[in-house]
Formats: sequence, C-alpha cells, structure tokens
Amino acid sequence: MKKLVLVLIVIAALITFFNLRKSEKIGSTSEGKTVKIDYSHPVPGDWLIRHLPAEPSTLNPILVTDVYGSQIDGEIFDSLIRRDPKTLEFIPQLASSWEISPDHLVYTFHLRKDVYWHDGKQFTARDVKFSYDKIMDPKVDAAPLRNYYRDIKKVEMLDPFTVKFTYSQPYFRALEFCGGIPIVPEHVFGEKDFNQHPFNRAPIGTGPYKFAKWDTGKEIVLVRNENYYGKKPYIDKVVYKIITDNTVAFQVLKQGGLDLMGLRPIQWVKQTRSKRFKKHFRKLKYFLPSYNYIGWNNRRIYFRDKRVRRALTMLVDRQGILKDILYNLGVVVTGPFYINSPAYDKTIKPYPYNPQQAEKLLAEAGWIDHDGDGIRDKDGTKFSFEFLISAGSKFAEQLSTILKESLKRHGISMTIRRLEWAVFIQQIDDRQFDACTLGWSMGWESDPYQIWHSSQAKKGSNFVGFVNKEADEIIEKARREFDAKKRNEMYHRFHRIIHEEQPYTFLFTMNALVAVDKRFQNVNVYPMGLEPREWWVPVALQRYK
Amino acid sequence: MRAYIIKRLIQIVPTLLGITLITFVIIQLAPGNPAVFKVKMATQGQVASDAVSKQIIEQTKKLYGLDKPLPVQYLLWLKRVVTFDFGNSYKDHRPVMDKILERLPITIQLNVISIFLVYLISIPCGIYSATHVGTWLDKFLTLFFFILYSMPNFWVAVVLIMLFGGGDFWDIFPVYGISSIGAHSLPFIPWLLDRLWHLVLPVICLTYGGLAYLSRLTRAEMLEVIREDYIRTARAKGLSERVVIYKHAFRNSILPIITLLAFLLPGMFGGSVIIESIFSIPGMGQLGFEAVLARDYPVIMAITTISALLTLIGLLISDILYAVLDPRIKLE
Repeated sequence: MKKLVLVLIVIAALITFFNLRKSEKIGSTSEGKTVKIDYSHPVPGDWLIRHLPAEPSTLNPILVTDVYGSQIDGEIFDSLIRRDPKTLEFIPQLASSWEISPDHLVYTFHLRKDVYWHDGKQFTARDVKFSYDKIMDPKVDAAPLRNYYRDIKKVEMLDPFTVKFTYSQPYFRALEFCGGIPIVPEHVFGEKDFNQHPFNRAPIGTGPYKFAKWDTGKEIVLVRNENYYGKKPYIDKVVYKIITDNTVAFQVLKQGGLDLMGLRPIQWVKQTRSKRFKKHFRKLKYFLPSYNYIGWNNRRIYFRDKRVRRALTMLVDRQGILKDILYNLGVVVTGPFYINSPAYDKTIKPYPYNPQQAEKLLAEAGWIDHDGDGIRDKDGTKFSFEFLISAGSKFAEQLSTILKESLKRHGISMTIRRLEWAVFIQQIDDRQFDACTLGWSMGWESDPYQIWHSSQAKKGSNFVGFVNKEADEIIEKARREFDAKKRNEMYHRFHRIIHEEQPYTFLFTMNALVAVDKRFQNVNVYPMGLEPREWWVPVALQRYK
Repeated sequence: MRAYIIKRLIQIVPTLLGITLITFVIIQLAPGNPAVFKVKMATQGQVASDAVSKQIIEQTKKLYGLDKPLPVQYLLWLKRVVTFDFGNSYKDHRPVMDKILERLPITIQLNVISIFLVYLISIPCGIYSATHVGTWLDKFLTLFFFILYSMPNFWVAVVLIMLFGGGDFWDIFPVYGISSIGAHSLPFIPWLLDRLWHLVLPVICLTYGGLAYLSRLTRAEMLEVIREDYIRTARAKGLSERVVIYKHAFRNSILPIITLLAFLLPGMFGGSVIIESIFSIPGMGQLGFEAVLARDYPVIMAITTISALLTLIGLLISDILYAVLDPRIKLE
C-alpha cells in the first residue's frame, strides 16, 4: 500500500509540474485578442524556431558536407558576393566591388573596411587567402570543396583589403565560385589540427547571426550579430531544433513548438486541413532547382539504342505517377536544367505516356518476343534487367513497382534491387547497374559538364555513359561563353539533344512544401527559396524573449 | 574462487582480441568505402574528371589512414585502443570517446529505468500467476503480456505520441528530446522532474515488450519449485504462506533470472535505434546506426569493442553470482 501511495505522489507531482509549465507557456504567449497589432512597420524581436531533421557533422564552412550544416552556415558566414534573392544578380557583400579582367582570368575583389568577425577582430584579405590555402591543403578534410577550386592558379593579397584570384582557364561560373568561397578567420586557427579544431563546433563568422550554442542532438542556437555591417535581421534568435522523426516534428509544429518546417506531400494535402492549422500557419509551395530521374546505363545492350530509351520513357506514366503518388505537387521535366531558369527550353514537351508507340519503337529496335515466352528478346538476349533503388526511399519503392508492372505488360522483365545507400553509391560508382533512380540538385545556373560530358563517363558523374559529340562541343563552348543569352541558346540546343537521346527518363521537379507560423510578416518566396532574415513579428504577436 | 576469477579475467583478453579482429575484418569486407562515400555524398557524385576524382579520394583515404595495408591498420588501431584511445570519427573528426561519453548518460538513464521497471512489474506478476494458477487473473495477465509483447514498438511510439503529445488529443507529455528549453538552468529537483516527464513515453516503449518474457520465466520457475518436497515440508511446519513463497520458493527460483543479468551490462550500453530516432533522443543507438550507415569505422569499432568487453564481464559476474547464491555450485 505504501508503494502505491508513493507512486501516486510521484504522478501527482509530475502532473502539477506539467500544468505549471503549461501555464508558463501560455503566459508568455500573447494571444493578441485585446491588444492592437501594429503591422505598420517592421520591429526587431522574437525568435524563429526551425526544424533540423538531422544533426550536422560540423559548422566549419570549409569542412561542412551536409545540407543542414550549410544552411546554418549561411546565417553565420558571409561571402565576398552573393546573389540578390529577387533579381539573382550578384551583389556586394564582404566585397564592396570587384573587377574582372577582359580575358576572364583575373578576378579582383575590394573588401569592405568595416567588417569585423564575431569575436571583434577585423576581417581582411588575409582571411580570404588563408581560407583558400586551407581548402587546397590535402591534410584538410575538404576534398569535395577542393574540386571546385582546382582551376584557380593563385590567390594573392594585394593589400589588406584587396584580393586577387587568377584562373588558369576562363569559365562562366568562376565569379560565382571565387566570390562564394567560404571564409574562416585566420586568427582563430593556430597550430592545432584544422579538422579537429574547436571552431568547428563553435564557429566565428562575419554574418548577420552569431553562433550561441550547440547542444548535441538537441538544438543549435544563433543570436543576432548586433555589430553586423549590413542590414541587421529583425529576429533576435534562430533556434534549430533537432527532431529526427518527421511525424514527431510535424506534431511539434502543430503544438506551436516549431515555426518553420518542410512538409511531406501527404502532410501538405491531408494533414494540414484543420481550421486550427490554417489559423496558425501559412503554407508555402515553390520550386527549387532539382529534379529526379531514371538513369539507363547506356553501355548495357538493352539501353544502347535511343529508340529503346525513348520507348521506356513512353512506358512511364509520369502524369499518372505525379497525380497518384505525389498529389500533383510537382511538374514533369524534360531536361537537365532548372525548369524556371532561362537555360531550360520550355518549348520541348515531355514524351507522353504512349504504350502503342513504345511497342512500335521496341520492335523497330529489334526487341521482339521471338520465342513466345512473353519476354522480348534480341539476338538471343532476353530483355530482362535489374533496377537499382536505395532502400528506404519510399518514392523509389513506389516508382519501381509501377514501372515493373508497366514493363511487364509490354514484354520487359524488370527486377527491383534495394541497396543500402553506401552500397548503392558504390555500385553506381563502379558502373555495376542496369538502371537506377536518383535526383540531382543544382544551382540557379548549372554547368552540364560534370554530368553529361563524355570525359566524365568512365569515372565521373556521367555514370549512365552518355556520349555525344555535338553535346560535348556545346558543353565545352558554353563554359567559355560569358554572354548569358548566347549561352542559353547553346543550352537550348543541348537540351534538345538530351531529349532526343533520352539517356535519362527525366521525371519531376518537386515542389518544396513549407509551413510557416503566421505571426511572421514579410514572408516572401523568391526564385531560390525563403529569406528568413527579412522576416519580422509585430510586438503584440511576439512569443519569445 | 580467486584463482578462478583470475583465470577468467586472463581468458577475456584473447576472446576480446578475437572479437575485435573479426569485427575489423567484417567491416572492411562490407561494401562501401568511407572515403568514396564522403566525397561522393558531399558532391552528389559531381566530382570532376577521372584524375581529380581519384586524387581526391586517395587524399581522403590517406587522411583517414585507410591507405595502409589492412594488418597495419589493425595493429595501429590495437596500439591506440590499449590506452583507451579509439581514434577520431570520420564524420566530424572528434574523438570517438568524447562522442560516446556525450551520449552514454542518457542511454544509461533510459535503460536503468526501463530495466528496473521490467523487473519491478514482471517478477511480482510472475509470482502472483504461479501462486494463483488457472485463475482468471492469471490468464488475463498471460494474455495481456503477450498482447503487449506482440505490439511493434515503433507503432506504439507513434500512437502514444499522437494520443499524449498534443496533436488532436491530450497534450500531456513532451514528444521529443530529453529536457525542456533552458532546463539546464533549473535547480536539481525541477530538473529531475522535467527529465522524468520527458522520459515517460520512451520508457513505456522500452518497457512493455520485456514484461512477457520475464514474468513467464518467473512463473515457470516458481511453479517448478513450489512442487518440491521442501516446500511441502515448509508448509507442514506451519510456516505462513508468505514465508513459504518468498523465502523458500522465490529464492530458489531466481537462479535463471541471474543469468539474464549477464546481458544487462552490455544492454545498458546499447541503445534502441528506433525509439531514439522517434523521440529524438541523442543516445548510443543513433550513434551506432549512423556510424554503420556512413561507414564510420572508428565509431563502429569502439562500440563493438566496448559492448563485447561488457558482455564478457557480465558473463563473469553472473557466473560468480551463481556460486554466491547457490552453494551447490563450485567454481574452479
């Protein structure tokens, strides 16, 4: 009996405690029913609580490899120049101006003299030079980044506020790369190993937000940099909550514990319809530069003929899949550029779902069911291949099942093979696959060289082995073309070649789906996404202090 | 006895060496290379030309010490481990020991509470069932525990979150993390309550599945012992039922339960990947799981080695406990 009493006491204590906390929570929330809300001008204050689905490995912008770390670094670190979110033109940031030599090989940046690191030291060209040296240092674990700077011959500091990048060959994205180089403060790093430096978990930057703390597995907190040289953001604090399970994160969002979170299509369509949700959250839908696709290994006997690849595309009911599985939250694409960028040729229409036409093409290519076993064959080889997917991707799972059924009806046998991600990558890298499904994400401008040039077919990213002479020529010429209009014309031609060859069956560019708490004002969608540093909250609606 | 313990302790060394060697080889045999993985992952496979790609991967291998022949790698690893230095994680270059120590406390808290609860609930229930065989309550307990046992914990976790986590039903328990914002500045008692409040749902998920096994085991052992002659003798002496059951019967039936203790020690160290992921608890399960997925060799090796060591020690302890509790068993 005594034990029972004890248990009851503990439960009672817990409940009282929880009620106490709850009332605190409500107490600090201004409901704004009696208070007048002033929307007239932006005011500083309040926090923004964001969702982080996984913990970043580091916050050092030179070492960071995951998208979460890069996202946070975007708030802490400024680069020399940045793209204006509205116009997408390059605008000054740490560099007040820059010059490009007529041969497009030398880029000279003049740095601002009023920029200070978060620890108070002045920012100079030495930091830029130091960062470049670190990126190129083989002892630094920055291999992926090094790849982007291999064409730089040298980086020189002309005076403490002028830095010069010299390229070995002209390249249209050179300004984007050297102007966007991640910059770390030289004075922080001593003799200590760069990879293990405490800086990596407590970074010091020049950006609008300062790093405040990182609780492993729980949260990362940034506070406004009051000494920021540019326009200071309104939000006092940005908290990144690490919540590993999406369902739980969504629940927390509904409770009001998160202010900004990416939604899944099913959540967007089915789980955000309640009145309560609509009252508290704004839902935003926009495109980001990425697409997914089915890659056919062009070296394999089945996929060597472009007629077969075209036929396969016609056997994938892309509109149907988009409607049934993805709730129409995306768009069918036909080529390797971002659908809203000028490089993408919108006059190219996707091949329709057309089994009759596909059967005709397959027969033309010689794939006919000679022995009557229900599977097409050619020269004694049966059309029977393996489709590689990464285990755990629900979309790949659904897509492959639909594809398998569709192909079976037209005499092609396909087996699905699920592999763990690390193994999947290895197989693709070794070219040990018939077909697979994956996605690419790109920048606003992208260079098809890495994915489509024939030189990349053996070991690079052209893993499907696409080889086309005209395409090679266009790619090479476009890299040296600095007139965007002319370059886009070349890319339109390239897009058409890709469409005819169908080395990939291009699938969709999916919508980015986001829910934002309604108390935030000035929430705009730009071509490259959201800009939380413009957001503000009216005083009466501010929730945290 | 002392000679026995010393002998067993010495035996641990070669066993442990064998375990680490096998683990080391198996990890290396598994497809997927950490250097390739890191470079490909980060660039989305967009590594430039052949030569550059190869060079970059070779540089990364060298950085991770993967360029040396396997036996050398193993010996180097062994040399460091003797001083309890498990090297640095490939993921963030932090010492593996720091990463483990950072996550161990919460895993131990969860495990201690849930194991304690499992014993606290299932042993009395087992005894009750044994002394009331065939009654409706005995049958009910059996059925109930087996229903619990058959429910997958990822499903129960989500249901609990939906019911008690403030979605569309009650808002009683927090659904993620192990403490509230700013909890570290609270005094001890409120901090403790806050922590307990956060642990309620995960602990339920970790506990309910273990009840069936232990309570059935207790029940079966008790039933066997109760039929022994000395129990009849005890009853015939006129001892009270309470003394008969708890002093004479229960004591003799707990021996097999001691065997389970051997696995408690490594059990404390390992975490549940599923429960930790659902409740966003930064524990050992997640650490190990992520390490395996990313082929973070130093972390995988450290976790297996420590678990193996704890298992060996656990076995030794349970053997000694046998001898202590049962005078018939002699250790030589």
